[in-house]
Amino acid sequence: MKKKWMRWLTALLVLLSFLGFSGINHVQAADDSLQKVKDKGVLVMGTSPDYPPYEFLVNDGGKNTTVGIDISIAKQIAKDMGVKLQIKSMDFDLLLVGLQTGKVDMVISAMTPTSERKQSVDFSELYYTAEQSIIVNKADAKLYKDKDSFVGKKIGVQTGSLQADLAKEQMSSSPQLGLAKYTDLVLALKSHKVEGIVAEEPVALAYVQHDPDLALINGKFTLDPSENGQAIGFAKGATSLVAAANKSIDKIKKKGLIKQYMTEAADKMTTNTTDTSMIHYWKYFAKGIGYTLLITAISVVIGVILGTLLALMRLGKNKLLHALAVAYIEFVRGTPLMIQVMFVYFGLGIFLDIPALLAGIIAVALNSGAYVAEIIRSGIESIPVGQTEAARSLGLSQKQTMQSVVFPQALKNIWPALGNEFISLIKESSIVSIIGVTDLIYQLKVVQTATYKGVQPIIVAMVIYFVLTFGLSKILGYFEKRMKHDEATH
Amino acid sequence: MTKPLIEIDHLVKKFGDNTVLNDISETINQGDVIVVIGASGGGKSTFLRSLNLLNKPTSGKIAFEGTDITGLSEKELDQVREKMGMVFQQFNLFPNMTVLENIKLAPMKVKNATDAEATAQALALLKQVGLEDKAEAYPASLSGGQMQRVAIARALAMSPDVMLFDEPTSALDPEMVGEVLKVMQDLAKSGMTMIVVTHEMGFAHEVADQVWFMDQGVIAEKGTPEQIFSAPKEERTKDFLSKVLAQ
Ligand SMILES: Nc1ncnc2c1ncn2[C@@H]1O[C@H](COP(=O)(O)OP(=O)(O)OP(=O)(O)O)[C@@H](O)[C@H]1O
Ligand SMILES: [Mg+2]
Repeated sequence: MKKKWMRWLTALLVLLSFLGFSGINHVQAADDSLQKVKDKGVLVMGTSPDYPPYEFLVNDGGKNTTVGIDISIAKQIAKDMGVKLQIKSMDFDLLLVGLQTGKVDMVISAMTPTSERKQSVDFSELYYTAEQSIIVNKADAKLYKDKDSFVGKKIGVQTGSLQADLAKEQMSSSPQLGLAKYTDLVLALKSHKVEGIVAEEPVALAYVQHDPDLALINGKFTLDPSENGQAIGFAKGATSLVAAANKSIDKIKKKGLIKQYMTEAADKMTTNTTDTSMIHYWKYFAKGIGYTLLITAISVVIGVILGTLLALMRLGKNKLLHALAVAYIEFVRGTPLMIQVMFVYFGLGIFLDIPALLAGIIAVALNSGAYVAEIIRSGIESIPVGQTEAARSLGLSQKQTMQSVVFPQALKNIWPALGNEFISLIKESSIVSIIGVTDLIYQLKVVQTATYKGVQPIIVAMVIYFVLTFGLSKILGYFEKRMKHDEATH
Repeated sequence: MTKPLIEIDHLVKKFGDNTVLNDISETINQGDVIVVIGASGGGKSTFLRSLNLLNKPTSGKIAFEGTDITGLSEKELDQVREKMGMVFQQFNLFPNMTVLENIKLAPMKVKNATDAEATAQALALLKQVGLEDKAEAYPASLSGGQMQRVAIARALAMSPDVMLFDEPTSALDPEMVGEVLKVMQDLAKSGMTMIVVTHEMGFAHEVADQVWFMDQGVIAEKGTPEQIFSAPKEERTKDFLSKVLAQ
């Protein structure tokens, strides 16, 4: 028993020291960031692979692989450094946190180096500034030269996009048709509802490459580089890494490799509508289900063990253990699971390199433990003291009384509440997708980006979640009934 | 031949400022059947529960079979408690176990009896309390009287040296009181040492060797049933008896 408390104490100390640390930036006197990467032999890149053609996932023989222009650039950089490339996926918003906490060495995710971002991380030079192109029907390609050729012609844009704003300002004499998806815009183009579609060059290229009836022309828009340029992010002070990356970028630019990367990426993008049916993507969903169930199952087991322990601590006579349990339970229940997931992955990640899946499981399990503890405590308290007294008066020890008399009865009382906790765990575990764990929600996003379909994957995921939770609730109900069976009624 | 089984020495129990047992010194001999009577709140339950240390005395000593048990560790106490059977007003059967499992639990867990041994013993005890046909029933399907008889059998399964009863018939419908008292009476006849808190004056009259009248944390008066019921000396004993008998 003692050792367990030691472990808790250590965890607490880690937490405290982290809170103390976090204000201070990790500034190294002499920058050894490049040397460190070389010593490790791996360059860890963070990216949010939901932005084709820069970074997106393709199903490569049943395996998710991250590909895209940015990935090709990263590979080149790693190659120039003589190390391997490792890709860590996470939410775009978390990428900079990943840099600051050392989870990743660099971030390449079509990121524009805004002055705001520059305050917390360092950037390489711009490796690419997206040109804005116009997609037209190949048959009409001769008619159009650039944006100014469309006077009086209807033009298609993605609603709410940067291109929509550009077209409004710089093609003011062309009426706009705004649609949500490029696939629909292409259909509109082919049926001459619009005569051109304004799109970022790589996106335009992807469509043109997949459809021989389409052609691409340079829009010749006036662009503000500070809003369009993309650079690689590094931890503050990692000057040697930045320098190395800049060298690679220069080389890439000189050799004109970006165009090649773009063509490769466009090749891999799915742009036609023929195989975007959800059935075609069943493997993605299946994998997501697998991870969601895995995370939930492990978290349930750990959560129950931890919860039991915490409940006994809370109910026990030892004041210190009681206080620790109360503090833990209240703290965990008083903070959002999302923050806990980030804390375990990034916060504890400073001391230990925890993979995303493990971090997700740890966070969800630790969270569940607090809730289960309260359920178990209420269950134990619901058993009349007479039961304990009867057992003790028969000579049963406190432990035996708990095991044979109180706990089995408590379990029956709390079964429905415990079941609810498990069911909500299936749903709430979805938060781990933000650190790149490929659970159902994550896969849902993957399918969304792969198919350009927003709603259908959501419906599929919704149905899957419902089937999972409903199935579980049926199974739990079956056991509940069986336990009730024990107790014949009058 | 009398041998002291339980010796109580200046027993005091306080709950906060409330002195519930106020300096009790008594001796209970082997084979004694002692009935404790007294008004509600007088400390009868607390007294009984102090004997097997379900309540820890504030001060004073209790010796059981010659050894002081007030200073024992929880583990040692477990061994003492097996020898002191206890029967509660609310039966306290384990609802998640059958009658048989209720009785077998302690012998198997505490005495490491085999399943066969424990079952044989449990069935014999059930026969003794007249419930051999209820072995497989769950407590919820039994009447109050049946439940209390199972509770007695369960306590007897540990072969205790003394049985403590805390108002065993108070929660029963009147027509079921008899069957439980009958079992207790048989037990007394078999020579079991018993301390019984009860309001059943008929039982006290017939079965008790001694009747103790407890009031405000002390044994205010004690004597044979004849002495207490026919010629009580203390004013408060008379008061109590007149109230009880008036009912
Ligand atoms: N766990 C406890 N904590 C605080 N006070 C208690 C506790 N148990 C009993 N008491 C108090 O001790 C006094 C005696 O209670 P006890 O139950 O021993 O009386 P009793 O003679 O058994 O009464 P009854 O006939 O109602 O069962 C009461 O005033 C009661 O409130
Ligand atoms: Mg009482």
